[in-house]
Amino acid sequence: MVDIISYFCFGLGIVFWFWGTVPLVGDRSVLFKLHSLSVADTLGSMSIVVGLLLKIPNEWPLLILALISLAIWNTILGYVLAYCSSSRE
Amino acid sequence: MNNTDILVIVSLLPLSALMLVLQVNPYHALVIRGILGAVAALVYAVLGAADVALTEALVGTMLSITLYAVAVRSSLVMRLGVVTEGETLSEEEMPEGFGQLLSELRTALKKYHVRLELVCYVNEEALEQALQDHEVHGTCLPSEIKEYQIITRIERLYEIFQADTTFPVSRWEDVVAKKLTQQAELSLNP
Amino acid sequence: MNLMLLAMLLALLIPMYEAWQDDNIWQKMLAFASIATKTSILILVVSVLRDDWMIGVVGVLILSLGNASLMLLAQIIKRLNQI
Repeated sequence: MVDIISYFCFGLGIVFWFWGTVPLVGDRSVLFKLHSLSVADTLGSMSIVVGLLLKIPNEWPLLILALISLAIWNTILGYVLAYCSSSRE
Repeated sequence: MNNTDILVIVSLLPLSALMLVLQVNPYHALVIRGILGAVAALVYAVLGAADVALTEALVGTMLSITLYAVAVRSSLVMRLGVVTEGETLSEEEMPEGFGQLLSELRTALKKYHVRLELVCYVNEEALEQALQDHEVHGTCLPSEIKEYQIITRIERLYEIFQADTTFPVSRWEDVVAKKLTQQAELSLNP
Repeated sequence: MNLMLLAMLLALLIPMYEAWQDDNIWQKMLAFASIATKTSILILVVSVLRDDWMIGVVGVLILSLGNASLMLLAQIIKRLNQI
């Protein structure tokens, strides 16, 4: 049962990855791409890490750390990139 | 984790290295260097060298890129000395011809990814002294032929401006030699 | 599990293509951000596959470091166009 859930998480994560990355190719603005990237990509990565956590629970401190740093850093990175790319003189 | 996977992961490394080598713009090359660093860390980790991967991410990607960005930013710049009344020069106070000169210089330098930086001096003597002391790469002075003329000490900049701008450009050595002969003539015929 | 790794590598190739073909520096930075996250998640997956703690620790460190280097680089590039 746990195996099925973890594979489901992997699949969901990879689908989210493609969803977030495919808009990167194309002539959209930086902010549009940043939005899809920061939402879908981070969710996909977190889903993959949750899948790993379910698969091998004895490495939980490491994977929880990965989850937290993903959630915090990627959010801040989104803000920093948006601030830097949009404030032109 | 079989051989095919490892082969595919490792082949990402020459791919990103090729991307880096073929890149012309130095700033774009820095970003690609970051990508190369991330891929290299992945390859090292997959091959089992965790310490090398950590060093690549810390030193190769973070430290060297930041230092190189600072170095490239401060070296790929042309310092142009101008004479102004105040300490700084704002866009609104610029005369018409000067703004045109600046935009022409910027377009000419942009081809070589060089920025233009203005350095302000109070009078022409201070400006000439700064050019002599290598504080600036070139000066911009009012002239009779067109509103402004540029004097530069650097041969390559002279060639670039000669080819790509409509304003008169002269070498510093020529200007100094001309001034010396004028002085000699004056002292001969008092 | 093997198929999943190949799919992740395919997802990694998309931002690399984007970084190669786009001329805007911010688009390249976005591709770099995407690649930095993806490679560190791949390192984590590999570490769990092999049940190797050491690689896992390195993966988590790279995950947070890659983002830090990106922010530094973004701040420097932002100041490029200002005199």
